[in-house]
Amino acid sequence: MKLQESGSWRDIWRRFRRSTIAMIALVYVVVVAFIALFAPLIANTKPLIMRTASGIRFPSAGDFFGAKEGIEQVPQGDVVLRAPIPHSPNDVDILQRLKKPTHEHRFGTDDVGRDVLARLVHGARVSLTVALLAAVIALLVGSFFGAIAGFYGGWVDWIVSRLIEIVLCFPFLFLVLGIVALFRPSVYTIVIALGVTTWTDAARYVRGEIMRIRELDFAQAARASGARDVRIIFRHLLPNAMAPALVSANFSVATAILTESALSFLGIGVPLPAPTWGGILSIAELYIDYAWWLALYPGIAIFTTVAAFNVVGDRFREALDPRG
Amino acid sequence: MSAYLARRVAYAVLTFFGITIVTFTLIHSVPGDPVTFYIGKSGTHGVPPAILQAIRHEYHLDEPLIAQYGWWLKGIFTLDFGPSVIDHRPAMDRILEKLPNTFALNFIAFALAALAGIPIGLWSASRSGHLFERGSSIVFFLLYSLPSFWVALLLMQFFAVRHAWLPLFGMTSDDYLLMSTTGRIADRIRHMILPSLALTYAQLAFYARFTKSALTEVIHQDFITTARAKGVSGPAVLWRHAFRNALLPLVTLLGLTIPYLLSGSVIIETMFQWDGVGNLYLQSLLSRDYPTVLALTVVTAVVTLFASVLSDVLYAIADPRVRVEGKR
Repeated sequence: MKLQESGSWRDIWRRFRRSTIAMIALVYVVVVAFIALFAPLIANTKPLIMRTASGIRFPSAGDFFGAKEGIEQVPQGDVVLRAPIPHSPNDVDILQRLKKPTHEHRFGTDDVGRDVLARLVHGARVSLTVALLAAVIALLVGSFFGAIAGFYGGWVDWIVSRLIEIVLCFPFLFLVLGIVALFRPSVYTIVIALGVTTWTDAARYVRGEIMRIRELDFAQAARASGARDVRIIFRHLLPNAMAPALVSANFSVATAILTESALSFLGIGVPLPAPTWGGILSIAELYIDYAWWLALYPGIAIFTTVAAFNVVGDRFREALDPRG
Repeated sequence: MSAYLARRVAYAVLTFFGITIVTFTLIHSVPGDPVTFYIGKSGTHGVPPAILQAIRHEYHLDEPLIAQYGWWLKGIFTLDFGPSVIDHRPAMDRILEKLPNTFALNFIAFALAALAGIPIGLWSASRSGHLFERGSSIVFFLLYSLPSFWVALLLMQFFAVRHAWLPLFGMTSDDYLLMSTTGRIADRIRHMILPSLALTYAQLAFYARFTKSALTEVIHQDFITTARAKGVSGPAVLWRHAFRNALLPLVTLLGLTIPYLLSGSVIIETMFQWDGVGNLYLQSLLSRDYPTVLALTVVTAVVTLFASVLSDVLYAIADPRVRVEGKR
């Protein structure tokens, strides 16, 4: 069983690897994830390494799990290594407002003089956190409903189908905007709103796959050995139906990034002063006649990241089903 | 056929009640006193208790939950969602007067997208295996991944700000009333170009992708192989046999397209200050005008439900396999 499973994953990977574009997209996704994870060490006013009277210090390391509010004291001493982008995302410098890209601010500054590149780097953190959490919720909810619908069929399947139909009747953005606005915008409300509206795809994928495999020998064997339904569904069937669900998770992440940035753009997203890609674009709209750099770079960041997740999802799906 | 129709309509009725329950639950799960929902404020302080009581009575908030749901259903059936918090006119009236504007914009975007997207999809599927076909699926995905507000921003920057070829936003120019009839038509069209372009491109990719996969599926079926084996020429197989069958599933898109279009309208109408229901939805949310928000949510969901039933029925009329398979 185990052997067969690893073999099939290896086959999928082998077919996936054949597509150059898929590999480029995958590498890009990894790079963006790396930037998001290490954002505080990439863009930070505080130096990475300092030599002080009391020894070697790492002033920016404390920001790794979220920067502290207020002005912090940077210890006295010699800077050994600066962050690659020596600006923090919320460093306001009104004298430097709306500056074109220069050597100091490579992607320019926004309307209160914050470094756009630093905000983009930290914005990746916000976007990916929201998107990954939303995709996980969609995957969990969707897998659960898809699994029971596919396993039991009959009236359970019927109820799940009606549930999906109900969700799909609402305009997606109406529902997301409505939930987020009603319950106050925050990372959590956005994640939940996205999760409860995008689980339908995962449910449909998982349902189909469970229906296909529920009569296969290994499922029959589990049933014959007296396993209870819960065990058959969640220990035997679901792990084998995960590949198509992961395809839909890729698309969920892409949709979530697009939607999160749209919410921020409309002013109902992750609250300020959190740096968000959509937030920078909303400032760009105010200075549309002048500040082209505010519109260009965040747009490219959203577009390339969303495209990368979509392409990975699409090629992953092709690798799963070489005929289609 | 009539059995299929009856079952589909019965399901739709249940889905309709599902929609009313979802929206009702949404209102009642909002934290805080539900009366704040209707007075357009975040709290009740500063409002005299007598007035609060009157509002509670007016919106039936002093009755048990099940009775409130009854009133909610009655409101939906009579299309009476109460007066808007903004100008105290019925919420439904405010929606109906904006609807034609949204319809005009979306119809153009839909027509452009379908007229360009479907042929592109058919063509790329007919060149299966060619470089063009491989490349086209990536291009569709790239179009799909472009955030509409960014595209709109770039369009505005290039066509309206840098070159002043087209108006930046609005539905008419300031001197619209002074124009001649032909001038007015031209003015309206000029205002429509950028927003409809911003709504079109993603849909175009969607239709092209859908059409392509539908045709690809048909090409792999036995009757196409049979036609080829009979000696029907390549183009004739495609045009006479495959296309007609591939276009059938497009009918089912009818229902799915409406909520998708309305989602796009929220962003684009807001950016271009287009006086439609998408813009109205966001403004109502921001000003906590919940009667309007709820009315729009329910009405769009019900319209979508209606369209999806209609497209399923059309599909069943066009393709007998559906209603036979459904019986099993």
